[in-house]
Amino acid sequence: MEAQLKNDLVNVFKSKLSSQMLLNLDTCSRCGLCTEACHAYASIPLVKYAPAYRAEVVRRIYKRSFTAQGKFAPVMGEAKEITDAALMELKEAAFSCTGCRRCMVYCPFGIDTQQIMSIAKLLLVAAQAEPETLSMLADMSVSKGENIDAFKEGFLSGIKRLEDQMIQTWRDEAGEDPIPTDVVGADLLYVALAGAHSIIPSARIFNAAGEKWSLSFFEAVNFGAFVGDPTKTKLILDRIVNEAKRLRVKEVCICECGTAVRVAKQLKGAPFKVVSLTEVHARYIRQGRIRLKKLPGSYTYHDPCQIARNGGVYDEPRYILSHLVNDFREMSPDPKYNWCCGGGGGLVAMGDETLDFRMQSAKVKADQVRGSGADVVVTACENCHTQLSDLNKHYGLGKEVRFLSSLVADALLPEPQEARG
Amino acid sequence: MATLYYLILVPMVYLAVAVFVLGTIWRIGRLLAAPSAPPPPPIYPLRKPAWLFAVGDALLLPTVLRHNFRLWLALALFHLGLLALLLGHLELIAEFKILQVVPHGIFLGHGFVGLAVILCLIYFLCRRMVSPTKELSVPEDYLLLVLFLFTALFGAQMDWARTWYDYSSMGVDEYRAYLSSLIALKPNIEGVTSAGHSFMLVGHIFFANLLIMAFPFTKLMHAIFTFAMNKFRRG
Amino acid sequence: MSTMAFDKELDLRNLPCPMPVVKISKGIKEVAVGGVVKAVTTDPGALTDFPAWAKTSGNQILGTDEAGGEVSFFIKRMK
Ligand code: SF4
Ligand code: SF4
Repeated sequence: MEAQLKNDLVNVFKSKLSSQMLLNLDTCSRCGLCTEACHAYASIPLVKYAPAYRAEVVRRIYKRSFTAQGKFAPVMGEAKEITDAALMELKEAAFSCTGCRRCMVYCPFGIDTQQIMSIAKLLLVAAQAEPETLSMLADMSVSKGENIDAFKEGFLSGIKRLEDQMIQTWRDEAGEDPIPTDVVGADLLYVALAGAHSIIPSARIFNAAGEKWSLSFFEAVNFGAFVGDPTKTKLILDRIVNEAKRLRVKEVCICECGTAVRVAKQLKGAPFKVVSLTEVHARYIRQGRIRLKKLPGSYTYHDPCQIARNGGVYDEPRYILSHLVNDFREMSPDPKYNWCCGGGGGLVAMGDETLDFRMQSAKVKADQVRGSGADVVVTACENCHTQLSDLNKHYGLGKEVRFLSSLVADALLPEPQEARG
Repeated sequence: MATLYYLILVPMVYLAVAVFVLGTIWRIGRLLAAPSAPPPPPIYPLRKPAWLFAVGDALLLPTVLRHNFRLWLALALFHLGLLALLLGHLELIAEFKILQVVPHGIFLGHGFVGLAVILCLIYFLCRRMVSPTKELSVPEDYLLLVLFLFTALFGAQMDWARTWYDYSSMGVDEYRAYLSSLIALKPNIEGVTSAGHSFMLVGHIFFANLLIMAFPFTKLMHAIFTFAMNKFRRG
Repeated sequence: MSTMAFDKELDLRNLPCPMPVVKISKGIKEVAVGGVVKAVTTDPGALTDFPAWAKTSGNQILGTDEAGGEVSFFIKRMK
């Protein structure tokens, strides 16, 4: 590796050294308690998948460049320079970590391995060694934000086609403008994903609840966060923030996408509230704005890590399910300890490239799903849904994998007539 | 030999304390001086007051208790033992009324606390020799354990040696005289170098010095950082 | 426009996010430079994603074709 690049990388590393990051790097006692916490290690017992080992890959470089011990007695902590080989190790460590933060629940100190992996990701970006697919996606998202006027028309024509579909299928409830866009003064801005499955059921529910809403032009998912590039993460998020400000909405509702929920919920000081779709649906039920019929069958719920453990939305999905089904079975005795599906952190977004690893590293998840005994696995995250569907196929679980929102839409009862208008 | 004893018992002790104090201040200062970034989310569900739960997490290690009872037991015994020994050493400097609320002879525990600590250390060492903790471990981890072990061995044995072999020529009074002379900056090592088991005291202090100096440059800083870390997790 | 010639057809109907873009970016590499890929999608989001992707990846969208709730993109590999 050239001296110049090495130097640059050390500086990039330095830019990540906030006080909290220093604590994450300096506190680990290598007790190994977190080892069993990682689904990757629990499924493939290789030490390189142990959280603390992943962290050491980054920590070794940290010690060498930034600590007295690493400078004067590198052998003590196995401190290491950044080399091409080290970059390969960083890549393997960072992109086999889904950022679920289950390890953080086990650690006596609460060391955040995902944060440490964010250093690895940023170094890879700086060395242009990050997974191509993820940076391609991030660049696409950024470009969309920069050129929205050029792309708007295409989007609107796509939405028009969806509306036609909706009007055909649900003539009564669709109303005149089943998928409103660009509504200045709307109460709620709904940020969906590219697929129709993330728009149609939600639109039905918003309309049934009489919500004054508007669909965002942008997709919720933040590929910048997957690739670990804070600049792009911010640019991608800003597109939504600007749109929300322009439309003067009170609330930004993020669709069933864990990363998007987490990134948006971390916004500070915005003139609107950020909520997840699940929270909004629970509210509608609580306020009597939608009524649901019970669906047959047995159900279990997979808590998406970024929405539950890292976002605090535990009760709402269970509340919704209690109105939807009679036979609900918890997957894990304590949802805080739910196994990650194994698809987060950009792994699902990398598609078939990561399929093998995703299937092997999530064996414990497949076992957990099987053990629930339920026929239907419900979740509220696009990535989890894709990964669970892949697991279902790979391990022959014979389950049905459903989005919570689509179940709610299926169970919608027509509004009582007098409530209309 | 006398020179070596002197070097270990006087200049090295001062050096160790200086390194410890300055090093620790530097480490904490470095943290405070670092830019603050927007914190990642805590682990949900949250409990209030967060700081109280964070202190509880730091002191009681509930996550270890939940996932590895044997390790928790050893950690609890080890850290409580260290605490007791620390207090015991304070009493070697002077008599503290407040510590005598539970009346006890000095030295606290008659070496059994030391023995418990030694057993824990051996357990920790063994743990580090077995996969997967083995692969996670770096030389620092072993070195610290070995330093602790030697410090404790020489220290605990010293107390027994005194009672078993009737080494009455050096006891609490001599330790006190030595330590208070160090504190008064008028070092006097006469009382502690002439006894039959003086070499054990010197060994104890030698390893303790190394340990104290290592503190600010190793993971031992977790003793302080754990509070901040746990507070972040609790939100 | 439906008669436009193409070298490879990709079925990107009803895929989860972000597979349409991932698959098109992989698929385009399977034709020679100058070759054309036809991508069929049902995602409304693809209608903004594909142009944005084409712009950042330096490929060219020759045209689109709508039929029965589906949109086909004809994309020429430029490099
Ligand atoms: S965040 Fe999740 S995937 Fe990453 S190391 Fe921790 S447990 Fe493993
Ligand atoms: S549990 Fe925490 S302190 Fe122990 S090895 Fe893992 S990250 Fe380090």
